[in-house]
Amino acid sequence: MIDFIQNTIDGVMIGSSYGLLALGFTVIFGVMRRLNLSYGPTVMIGAYFGTVLYLDFGAGLLAVAAAVVAGAVISGVYVERLCFAPMKAGAGIASMVSSFAIWMQLEQAAVLVLPRHTYPFPPLATGPALEIGPLLVRPDHLIMLGGALLLAAVVQLALYHTRFGLGLRAVIANPIAANLVGVDVGRLVMLAFAAASAIGGVAGFLVLAVDQQVTPMFGMWATLKGLIAMMIGGLGSIPGALLGGLLLGVVEVHSHWLFGPQVRDLFAYFVLFAFLVARPGGLLGRTADVELSHRV
Amino acid sequence: MLDVSELVTTYGKIEALKGVSLHVAGGKITCLLGPNGAGKTTLMMTIAGILRPRRGSIKLEGAELVGLSPAKIVSRGIALVPENRLVFPEMSVRENLLAGAYQRRDKSEIAADMERMYARFPQLKERREQLAGTLSGGEQQMLAVARALMSRPRVLLMDEPSLGLAPLIVAEIFDIVAALNRDGTTMLLVEQNAHMALKVAHQFFLMEQGRVTFQGTPGQLAEDEVIQRAYLGTRRAG
Repeated sequence: MIDFIQNTIDGVMIGSSYGLLALGFTVIFGVMRRLNLSYGPTVMIGAYFGTVLYLDFGAGLLAVAAAVVAGAVISGVYVERLCFAPMKAGAGIASMVSSFAIWMQLEQAAVLVLPRHTYPFPPLATGPALEIGPLLVRPDHLIMLGGALLLAAVVQLALYHTRFGLGLRAVIANPIAANLVGVDVGRLVMLAFAAASAIGGVAGFLVLAVDQQVTPMFGMWATLKGLIAMMIGGLGSIPGALLGGLLLGVVEVHSHWLFGPQVRDLFAYFVLFAFLVARPGGLLGRTADVELSHRV
Repeated sequence: MLDVSELVTTYGKIEALKGVSLHVAGGKITCLLGPNGAGKTTLMMTIAGILRPRRGSIKLEGAELVGLSPAKIVSRGIALVPENRLVFPEMSVRENLLAGAYQRRDKSEIAADMERMYARFPQLKERREQLAGTLSGGEQQMLAVARALMSRPRVLLMDEPSLGLAPLIVAEIFDIVAALNRDGTTMLLVEQNAHMALKVAHQFFLMEQGRVTFQGTPGQLAEDEVIQRAYLGTRRAG
């Protein structure tokens, strides 16, 4: 029983990193109804910005975090200009495929420019795990979970209680109608992309500061985990993204414990499969979203 | 007030507007009639900046609108109530109205305008926190009109406001059109319902196959003929 609770806690902690990654994905998917496969790699580029600053200039945590966010935003806007802005509505597949190409480009760029495979990343919080009765909780995990909850709350507030969010939801509902009420759709979509990348940057920073290392493969990992968490949680729902991430983490840790590391991903994909079959809108997604997503 | 001249808009190689010119007089209701495919909606979308014309000009009180973004055109004083209303279904009535004022920054004036809209459309006030997608067709049409008015337009364009509505509701919508005009709103109205349109219009234009084929005041042409040409066109197809 203690093991079960401990595993569930660990799962929630790991899952909060997936939830963080899914948040940025959800903002982009919610607005564009398009899949940005190079989302993870843009976060990875930001991570390299941060790690270079840390290694070569001895930058502190805040500066590293700022660099990760800045790097993610710059490469995110690069992806938007290249893969999304030129593609007309309805050409979602073209955007997805070209974002896959940019994924490869970014990954190879990281390998070429910084040939060592693994770079250290500054730790978030050192020190022993906190003991709560028989249970153990890592302090950096707690910070990551707190970061995920805070970021989700900020995004939700921005979407529902600001002018920017109002415009964004208008674009989500109907780009032409949004244009007609005076929303500059192109500009807003670019800003949303930048915001999503910034969210990805914060997510990447927290996750990497827990892992304490960064490799070019982080991009693929971030895209995969973020995507699965978003699809489980519900396309286009902010609380859903977080919840999907947590659920994915819990399933992974339990299956790892019960059946070993090889089986872990098998279970993760099975959960995704089960959701796609039984509840394609995800935990909190609406069916209307699913209908729309067919048009991608 | 609004002057459209020699406007040509194309979809690929097909010319939907083949040099349309018309004038909308300030403070008046101008109606645009014509059969399906005549180019009425294309004209509205071109004036609103959603479609870019190949040639021609659109001037609001002398200032050129062609080439401006739709958002800029809204801030210059044109608002379009689109065909099929296109309210934001997942937003509340209140949020739809706020979205209508997206280009404005004068918070207290926006709040005052909201109250004016609620006074004019009491049904919207009752449902201010309800999602727009749950309103009836007539209520959605009222919301679309109110949303457009929230930008304080100098010219209000309406594309088929009676589309898909029950006759009683259509009459109500036309009452609103007449009332808005009495308060000084300049309107360009596209309408399939020629009978209702001719009752409120000060001036009307007939469009057929991408061209203006008649302009005048109601009464200048027998209603029968207007209706026949508005629904069927004069030229036989192909």
